[in-house]
Amino acid sequence: MDLITQKKWDKAAPTFDLMAGKGAEERWEPFKRELFSAMQGNILFLALGTGLDIPFFPAGQSIQAIDISPKMLEQAEPRIADYSGDINASVMDVHNMSFEDNSFDQIFTSCTFCSVPDPINGLKSLKRVLKPGGELMMFEHTGSRYYPFKLMMDMMTLITSKIGPDMNRPTVENVTAAGFEITEVNHIFLDVVKTIKATKPAG
Amino acid sequence: MDKRIYFVIGDVLVNVAIALLVALVSFWLVSTNWNMMVAMWLMMFVGMLLAMLLALPAGILFGAMEVMLPMKLSGMLSGMVVGMWAAMQPITLSQAIGVGGTVGLISVVLVWLLNSRIRGVQTLVEN
Repeated sequence: MDLITQKKWDKAAPTFDLMAGKGAEERWEPFKRELFSAMQGNILFLALGTGLDIPFFPAGQSIQAIDISPKMLEQAEPRIADYSGDINASVMDVHNMSFEDNSFDQIFTSCTFCSVPDPINGLKSLKRVLKPGGELMMFEHTGSRYYPFKLMMDMMTLITSKIGPDMNRPTVENVTAAGFEITEVNHIFLDVVKTIKATKPAG
Repeated sequence: MDKRIYFVIGDVLVNVAIALLVALVSFWLVSTNWNMMVAMWLMMFVGMLLAMLLALPAGILFGAMEVMLPMKLSGMLSGMVVGMWAAMQPITLSQAIGVGGTVGLISVVLVWLLNSRIRGVQTLVEN
């Protein structure tokens, strides 16, 4: 277990909903609902956090959720209880997941790979537990290739990485580097906020 | 751009507000004894810094990246224009306010236009 990352997010848990819970979630709600509407089969949701995404899940799904921070999952408990399906949440590090190989039909992430310390190995771990032909569905913010935004985000990351997420991750490239086949990239705001859909090659 | 009226108003409001604030700071700080280039670069940096700080409370209401990046652009451009102008010649408070507000509006419209070109499903290029 990566205790440094765990401590960072445990510390962020009490104020996380205040910082992320209104403006960002309302703004992103239509896009997240659309992405999550594809949920079916055996589902892993990575980095459940305080459960802000749970109201956007389609009803009646059975979802295995993990997060590195027990404090975050404590905050998520009321939302888990309110969900009209089954969410089994546990504390787990994406780099050391206890699931067997080829366990899940789909894996969903939401603003996760801005924070995973070793993103390519984290994605490789997801590939391990995803069934061949299974889908990786991501809602992420990444760095930008457009100036001056690229410069701004590189500068911001010097500060934000100490207390929360990196602002300049090349997540689309990381997904490819981890061995997934990208099927769709949809830019929602500039080339910064986006959905990424990928599959684990069948062979 | 986001067509929901709450976010349209929010985008305009926060960008004009930060550009005005940076214009006022530049007006009070910079005088004609300043080197023009120093004034421009310093006030650009101050504008970005102020925008980064104020994007936190603004983001609670109106969004994350959609607020932070345009605000930083507005702050940077407002500091650049008003800082440089104030170093070149004496300017009045109303001139600083007018230019600051206009820069904020222009910045948010630029981001909307850029976003309308970039957003949407991307064509995937085979490696």
